[in-house]
Amino acid sequence: MKPSKAKELAGQIWRALRQPLAAAVFGLLVGAVVILACGQNPVTVYIEMFNKSFFTPYYLFSTLTRATPIIICAMATGMAWRAGYINIGVEGQMVTGTFAATVAALYIPGPPIFVGLVSWIAGMAAGALYALLPAVLNWKFQVSMVITTLMLNYVANNIASYFVTYPLKDTSGDGLALQTAEIAEGLRLTRLSSTSTFNAGFLIAAAVVLLMIFITKKTVFGYESKMGGFNSSFARYGGTKQVKVMMITMALSGAIASLAGTAEVFGLKFRYADGMLSSTNYAWTGLMAALIADLDPAGMFFVSIFLSGLQIGGSAIQRSLGIPLEIATIIQCCITLFVSVKLVFRFTRGKARREEAKGGAQA
Amino acid sequence: MLLEMKHITKVYGSLYANDDVHLTLEKGEVLAVVGENGAGKSTLMKILYGLEQPTSGEIYLNGALQRFRSPHDAIAKKIGMVQQHFMLLNPCTVAENIVYGREPKKHGLFFDREAAVRITEELCGRYGLHIDPRRRVGDCPVGLQQRVEILKVLYQDADIIIFDEPSAVLTPQEVNELLRTMRKLAEMGKSIIIITHKLHEVMAVADRVMVMRLGKYIKEMPKEETSVEEMSYLMVGRRIVERKVAPQKTTGTVLDVQDLVLAGSDEKNILDHFHLHVDGGEIVGIAGVSGNGQSELIQCLTGLLSPTSGKILLNGKDVSGQSVGQIREAGCACIPEDRYLWGCAAQATLTETAIMAHQYRPEISSKGLLSGRNTRAFTQSLLEGYDVRNSGQGQKAGELSGGNIQKLIVAREIEQKSPLLIAAEPTRGVDIGAMEFIHNKLLEKRERGDAVLLISSELTEIMSLSDRIYVIYEGRTAGEFRKEEASEESLGILMMGGKLHEAI
Repeated sequence: MKPSKAKELAGQIWRALRQPLAAAVFGLLVGAVVILACGQNPVTVYIEMFNKSFFTPYYLFSTLTRATPIIICAMATGMAWRAGYINIGVEGQMVTGTFAATVAALYIPGPPIFVGLVSWIAGMAAGALYALLPAVLNWKFQVSMVITTLMLNYVANNIASYFVTYPLKDTSGDGLALQTAEIAEGLRLTRLSSTSTFNAGFLIAAAVVLLMIFITKKTVFGYESKMGGFNSSFARYGGTKQVKVMMITMALSGAIASLAGTAEVFGLKFRYADGMLSSTNYAWTGLMAALIADLDPAGMFFVSIFLSGLQIGGSAIQRSLGIPLEIATIIQCCITLFVSVKLVFRFTRGKARREEAKGGAQA
Repeated sequence: MLLEMKHITKVYGSLYANDDVHLTLEKGEVLAVVGENGAGKSTLMKILYGLEQPTSGEIYLNGALQRFRSPHDAIAKKIGMVQQHFMLLNPCTVAENIVYGREPKKHGLFFDREAAVRITEELCGRYGLHIDPRRRVGDCPVGLQQRVEILKVLYQDADIIIFDEPSAVLTPQEVNELLRTMRKLAEMGKSIIIITHKLHEVMAVADRVMVMRLGKYIKEMPKEETSVEEMSYLMVGRRIVERKVAPQKTTGTVLDVQDLVLAGSDEKNILDHFHLHVDGGEIVGIAGVSGNGQSELIQCLTGLLSPTSGKILLNGKDVSGQSVGQIREAGCACIPEDRYLWGCAAQATLTETAIMAHQYRPEISSKGLLSGRNTRAFTQSLLEGYDVRNSGQGQKAGELSGGNIQKLIVAREIEQKSPLLIAAEPTRGVDIGAMEFIHNKLLEKRERGDAVLLISSELTEIMSLSDRIYVIYEGRTAGEFRKEEASEESLGILMMGGKLHEAI
């Protein structure tokens, strides 16, 4: 790589990162005010918090384990949003896909390799189909995708809830927990650390990031969906097949979403438990990561890990310092808020510039 | 001296939009500020109207120093501006639009609609600008909408009225009407500044002309002492040669539109049995007032709309109702009429802008994978071949000036090397240099034996480039001329829905 090219790349990375970094600093400042109000010293609290999320191996592994589904959910969100389809149903697609994968793993007989493969594929297919439903409704009846994807989250959660409450409930233990039986040992993902639950799910997340980068940068589909997201009139005028692009986009988004929960079940919990994917807010944290990183795949990867670290560190300081866990949520939301300030700011500036171009101030 | 702007400098980043510019205006005078796009005329006017703050420099009214922090300040000092893009509330009536912002009140609380109508009628009478106060603005033709804008400014009691490219959207007849209005206002003691790059309008209306180029004040002179040639030389900095297009043989029909109908929401058809044909090796112009079905015609031809009935034969094959992709495949490229709506995406990079509709060519992609090296090389060839000034392929399309992004779009569409090119408003809002360049490229396309369909609201553009001209009026083919037969008057009459009595 030539030095000028390296410099250009560094400049690109800086431009991509400076806004989220500034937002993070502002978020932490707001958090500091709240910590002060709790009667604690923000500096010591933050040191403790980041120690217990990034700088000790055990907590770092916890952070990365929790980041796994968040990263994948961010990619699922980004896949749809960058093409202009506001899919906020990643949670529902994740639940549907995960539940299908778990059921397949529990009830299909055969050697582990075969069952594992079928389960993951079944999960992706279910997630993809569940994401195609709003796409088809939008195409045929112009139903707003925002509303359908949001509503279908509840549908998926409640259907899965029904199954683990009645027909597929695990009756082997005390029979009180609403959950399925455990999947077979041979299907579980490899542990990458002997002292923690850190597992190969993280590698799957990393692979999804690489896949996402490849699709967005190298494929005609990635190009067409991106242009459609920027300006759908432009894409239409250029002759792209928009219905096809929409269907592939949503199917991919749903399939990726399914991986988030499947990795959680196969790598960590080994069973589907009622509400396990919704109470943890994976999809919504992933959505925030996607927004903060402005849908850039590499950015989403790092922001997801950062948000996960905030949550892990937040619960650590609750235990050791008595600072409420909500502090982490406040910081996280403030960062998202400050980033959306940036979005609005850039929008108005862009508009001013367009008018400038029309008015003719530019040479 | 009514108004004096001294040493005005406005810097955007490293760009001097205005560089030590002077402007003076007397009472009852019409001053024309001319210059290419990007010469800084609009910036200067925005500073005067309070929309922009100068980096340095002063504004004096009747000798007193002023600071305009917003248009409110400027309006309070009796400065008004007729915007190029009308700022009107289309669902409201003319009267409501005129009094908007300073409405007459009933009992100090409620809007007094009758008083608004009275005020409007009184204004119309005083300035001799007639319009029905109760008409919905959305139903008025563009010329009347502009009149509403002017009345609005007069209602604000402006003494200085700025017109920003006022004739861009008007027919020749409407332009004449507007120029008469300006003269009349000047005689009534109003001072007028008109920004334009149409020099014959300057000659018709101005008392004094000020020329700007690249943000700098170049020269000013009384109208009597200058000429169109001198002004265009001062604006561009070089001589523009009058274009002579040699006639050439055509090579058989490429596009044949027969009996094309597009139904509207009411019983009136948007396109009403429209017909035309374009042969290889000729440029065919469509003249018409905007809103007579040109946009819909383009969208039907390119596949964005599906016509209700009729045939569109492209190289003998009926493509009506096919998708955009299929029609492009069949050999049709299109320079869209609105470059920011259809022609590009503001956030897309130049590379992404350049390869649109090229993305399936084997050179650009194979098996769904883009070739990075070839896309960059292709984009570079467009940028260099069409003189698009840029700061690298990663630059965003929205950051280019209007003329440069238009050149890139023209490049992309001409390089489709398709037998038919539809060029809709190919030079709208671009400066003289870019206009000349784009015209040359269209003529080169014609010389290669391809068919070009030119849709433009600029009659001079249509008349100088076209071999044949159709007039479109309310979606119908209102007339067809060979180049030699066409005159601005005869086209103008047909464009307004009139009939030619001394018919050919």
